[in-house]
Amino acid sequence: MEESPLHQFELHHWIPLSIGGVDISINKAVIFMWIVIAVAAVLMIMAGSSRKLVPGKLQSLAEMMVEFIRNMILDTMGKDGMRFFPFVATLFLFILFSNYIGLIPGTYTVTSQIVVTAVFSFFVYGVSLVIGFWLHGVKYFGILVPPGTPGWLVPLMIPIEIISQIARPVSLAVRLFANMTAGHVMIAVLSGLTISGGLLIGWLPLVVSIGVYLLEFLLIAFIQAYIFTILTCVYLGDAFHLHGHEEQAH
Amino acid sequence: MPQFESTFFSSLIFWEVISFGILLFVLYKYAFPGILSALEEREKKIKDSLDQAEQHRSEAERQLKEYEAKLSAVGKEAEAILAAAKERAQRLLDENEQRLTAEAERIKGDAAREIEQERRKALQDIRTHTTELALMVAEKVVQRSLTEADQRRFADEALEALSKSHSR
Repeated sequence: MEESPLHQFELHHWIPLSIGGVDISINKAVIFMWIVIAVAAVLMIMAGSSRKLVPGKLQSLAEMMVEFIRNMILDTMGKDGMRFFPFVATLFLFILFSNYIGLIPGTYTVTSQIVVTAVFSFFVYGVSLVIGFWLHGVKYFGILVPPGTPGWLVPLMIPIEIISQIARPVSLAVRLFANMTAGHVMIAVLSGLTISGGLLIGWLPLVVSIGVYLLEFLLIAFIQAYIFTILTCVYLGDAFHLHGHEEQAH
Repeated sequence: MPQFESTFFSSLIFWEVISFGILLFVLYKYAFPGILSALEEREKKIKDSLDQAEQHRSEAERQLKEYEAKLSAVGKEAEAILAAAKERAQRLLDENEQRLTAEAERIKGDAAREIEQERRKALQDIRTHTTELALMVAEKVVQRSLTEADQRRFADEALEALSKSHSR
């Protein structure tokens, strides 16, 4: 009997729980969220507690990541953006560790749940809206009219920009979810083919599945975390510097 | 797809928010300050080291310039001292020469004056002696009781001879 490649994403109520009628049962994805935050917290705290001038491996790695995120923020948001450093860095680490822990066979990829990525993306987008209206007031609606748009194009541009604004959180959520899901589905399909193909032809999907796994491990898991984070920075940065006005003023 | 089964949405959202919140809190409290401060410390250390190196370099440059200036000043001073010494030696030499010349001149002048004086004195002496002699002659003539005319003639002759010898 062949197993569905989507079977790996199925969840089951392991420990039924509910608050005020809202179901908050513990399932595999929840368990792995905990594992993700535990691993991330332990590694980062260990890295942060050594604080040597000449860092060890773990400290170097953690510092590299922190530096990486910091540069991302400084490039997109400027110095003011450093207020968001804890949020952005935690987001990056959460997604990164989710992606990597999910690649260990038998685990669960938290970020392959659309609802998980959607919560992040809509939260980020919501924060960008709040910052935008907080800093610029009604003028933040100007984000719907890109600078330099000729007057007669404005009625056309506004609907297009509204769509692009709506596309921001949706694409952010779907991109991460789809990448994670697709990668895992591909590995599952190829592994299934390896088993059903038998000894004669089974080696081919095996080799390809190993290739895909390495691709996922070396590139996709990191790149998707990076893309999610840099887009977060870009959206927050847009809210900070409406049309880059402030940047030009600096 | 199993991910679109909405039965799990509520628990996933709830636990995601909780987990993320806990991670954010823990990292914010215990990890980021350490890592960021370590980074900043290192950055500061590197910057300080660079600044210090730059400072040392400029200090060294300044000292080099100072030494060079000192060296050239010393060279100039030595030259000046040498020139002064030369000048002084020349002056001393000149002075000496002048002094010697003046001394010789003076000695010469003194000698000439002395000679002149001696000559005058001698003349004076001669004159005195001659007068005495003339008086003596006159006396003798007078003693021989010459005539007045003779006496006069003798005296005239004697005076004439005297003035002749004097004018010579």
